[in-house]
Amino acid sequence: MTKLIETKDLCRSFGSDETLVVALDHVSVTIEEGEFTAIIGPSGSGKTTLLHLIGGLDEPSSGSVTLSGINIAKMPGRQVSDFRRDHIGFIFQAYNLIPVLSAEENIEYVMLLQGVSARERRRRVKEMLKITGLEGLGKRRPAQLSGGQQQRVAVARAMASSPDTILADEPTANLDSKTGISLLEVMRDLNQTRGMTFVFSTHDEKIMERATRLIHLHDGAIDKDERK
Amino acid sequence: MLIFKLAFRNILRQKRRSLLTGLSMTGGYVLFVISISMLEGSWGNAVDIFTLDHTGHIQIHKGNYVKRPKIYETIVDREEVEEALAGEARITGYAPRVYSPTLAYSGDKTSPAFLIGVDPVLETSVSRLLLKVSDGTYFDAAPNEDGYSQAMIGAGLASKLKLGLGDEIVLIAQGADGSIANDIFIISAIIGNKTSFDRFAVYLPLSAAQVFLSLGATVHEYAMLVSNRNHNEAIASDLQVLLPNLTVSPWQKVEESFYRTMQSDRQGNHFSMGIIVFLVFIGVLNTVLMSVLERTREFGVLRSIGCHPLGLVKLIFLETQMLTWLSLAVGGLIALPLVFWFAQYGILLPQPIDVGGVNFQHMKGEFSSLVFFMPMTFIVGAAALISLPPGIRAARILPRDALSSH
Repeated sequence: MTKLIETKDLCRSFGSDETLVVALDHVSVTIEEGEFTAIIGPSGSGKTTLLHLIGGLDEPSSGSVTLSGINIAKMPGRQVSDFRRDHIGFIFQAYNLIPVLSAEENIEYVMLLQGVSARERRRRVKEMLKITGLEGLGKRRPAQLSGGQQQRVAVARAMASSPDTILADEPTANLDSKTGISLLEVMRDLNQTRGMTFVFSTHDEKIMERATRLIHLHDGAIDKDERK
Repeated sequence: MLIFKLAFRNILRQKRRSLLTGLSMTGGYVLFVISISMLEGSWGNAVDIFTLDHTGHIQIHKGNYVKRPKIYETIVDREEVEEALAGEARITGYAPRVYSPTLAYSGDKTSPAFLIGVDPVLETSVSRLLLKVSDGTYFDAAPNEDGYSQAMIGAGLASKLKLGLGDEIVLIAQGADGSIANDIFIISAIIGNKTSFDRFAVYLPLSAAQVFLSLGATVHEYAMLVSNRNHNEAIASDLQVLLPNLTVSPWQKVEESFYRTMQSDRQGNHFSMGIIVFLVFIGVLNTVLMSVLERTREFGVLRSIGCHPLGLVKLIFLETQMLTWLSLAVGGLIALPLVFWFAQYGILLPQPIDVGGVNFQHMKGEFSSLVFFMPMTFIVGAAALISLPPGIRAARILPRDALSSH
C-alpha cells in the first residue's frame, strides 16, 4: 500500500511558560492509502489537534506533516489553502454547513473554489446526494434537515472535491447512535468502494468497532496503534 | 453565480439590521443628491443670471481686451469671425458689441456713464436687454427723422440726470482715432432699475456707437450663447483653433473671480457632504464588522474547505457592494422624482430676487447625470473602502481558532 499521510516527531503546544499546554508530544504516525482509521482517546488527548495538523488547519510547533509526499507544515498560506481544497475533505462534529446555502449549494461551493465547470458541478452534486442517500433533499437549507441529514451533506461536501483523504472530527458525536452508525456505514462504503482514505476521531466504542485501524492517543502521545 | 447568491443571502440573514443600514445609505444618497442638485442648480441659476444678462457663454476679443480693455483694440475682420460662428451648430446666437467710458450730460447735470453699442436685432438672441426695458420702447438702429440716434439708458443714470423718455442726452468720449467724440441722442427706453449692474449704462445702436467712437466697422467683442452651457469651454477651444489671431474666452475666463468663488464654494460643499456620508459609513462599517464577528466560525469553515483569505475579502466586498447598490437603487427611485420636481418648479422664494431688472421667484435644482452619478460614485467608493477592514479581519482569521469559536 502507498504511504499517504506521515507525521514525524509532531509537536504542538499552546501558551508559554507556566501556561504551556502540550497538546501533541512527538507523534509519529503513517497512514496508508485506503485506510479507515480512527483516532481515539479521552477528551484533551490531542485527537482534534492531530487532525487539524494533518489537515493543514494549524501549524506544528515542531516536526513535519507529509501528505502525498508534500510537507504541508512548511507551506505558505495560499498554497496550503489550495492543498486543502484539492486534497483534503473535512467533516466536523457540528456539521458546519453554510446556513444560507441549500444542501446542493453547500456541496457545490467547494467545487466552485476548485474552478470546476457548472455542468460538472451539477453532475457531481447529483451523484453525491445519491451516494449519501439525500436524493430529493438537495434544495433544503441546513435548518430544514435533521442532524443526521446535515452530517450526510457534510460528507457529500467533503467528497465533492475528490480529495485523497477525508478527515472527520467526531463526526457522530452530535448524532444518536442509530444515525451515527448509519453515517459511518456511508463512510465505510465510500472507503471500500472508492478506496477513499478516512481518518476520524471518536470516543464512541460502536464506531471504533467499524474502523480498520485504531490509533490510541493519551496526553498527546500515541499510546497504542492497532490494525484489525 | 453561487457567490452572488451567498453574498445576497448573507445580507438577508439579519434582515432588520440590513434594512436599517440600507436605509441609512439610501437616506444619505437622497440627501446628497438633493443637496448637489440644489447647489448645482443655484450656481447654474447664478451663471445663467449673468451669462444670459450680458456676458454670454463665450466671448471673442482682440488680444487681452478682457483684462485690459483699450478702445482701439478691435476686431477688424468681422466676416472671418461671423463665418466661423455661423459654421458652429452648437452656437445658438451671437452679437457684436463696442464699449467705451463716457460722460453724460443733461442740462446742468453731468454723470460718468458707460457706453455699450449693440446690434438691436442680434443682441436679443444673446442677452435679456429687451426684457430689461422698464419704460419706453426697445430702440432700433435707424436714426429718427431729425437724424438723432436713439439711446436706452440705465435707471440710475436717468434718475441722476433727471431724464425721461424722449429727452436728449449728450455724450462725450474719446474716439478710437484720438478725436473728441460728442453727440446728442434721444432716449427711447429706461433699462432695469436702480440696482441693475447697468444702471449707469447708455446703450446705443451698434452703427451709431461705431460712428460716435470713430471705430469704422470694427467691434470690441462678440458675445454668444451655446445650446449647452456645460460645453462652452470645449466650443471655445474649437473656435480658438478657427480664429488664431483673436482671443476666445469662455465665461469662466471672462468672469474669472466669480468662477473661482463658485469653485471654492462647490468644493467646500462637497467636503461637508463628504463628511456626512463618512458619518453614515461609520454606521455601515459597524454593521459589516458585526456581521464578520458573528460569522467567524463560518469563515473558518470556508477557509478549511480551501477558500483563500482573498476570497473572504471578496465575499465581504461583494456583500457590502450589493447592499450599497440596492440602497442606491431605492435612493434613486426616491431622488429621481424629487430632483425632477426641484428642477422643474423649484422652491418658491419668500422674496423674489431682482437681477438687473429681471425677477427670479424660484430657486431651482439641477436635473443632470452629474447630480445622480457624483454622489453614487462617492458612496460606492466609500462602501468599497469600508468593506476592506472587515474583509481583512475575516481574511486573518485562523481556521483553527475560528472552528473553536461559537
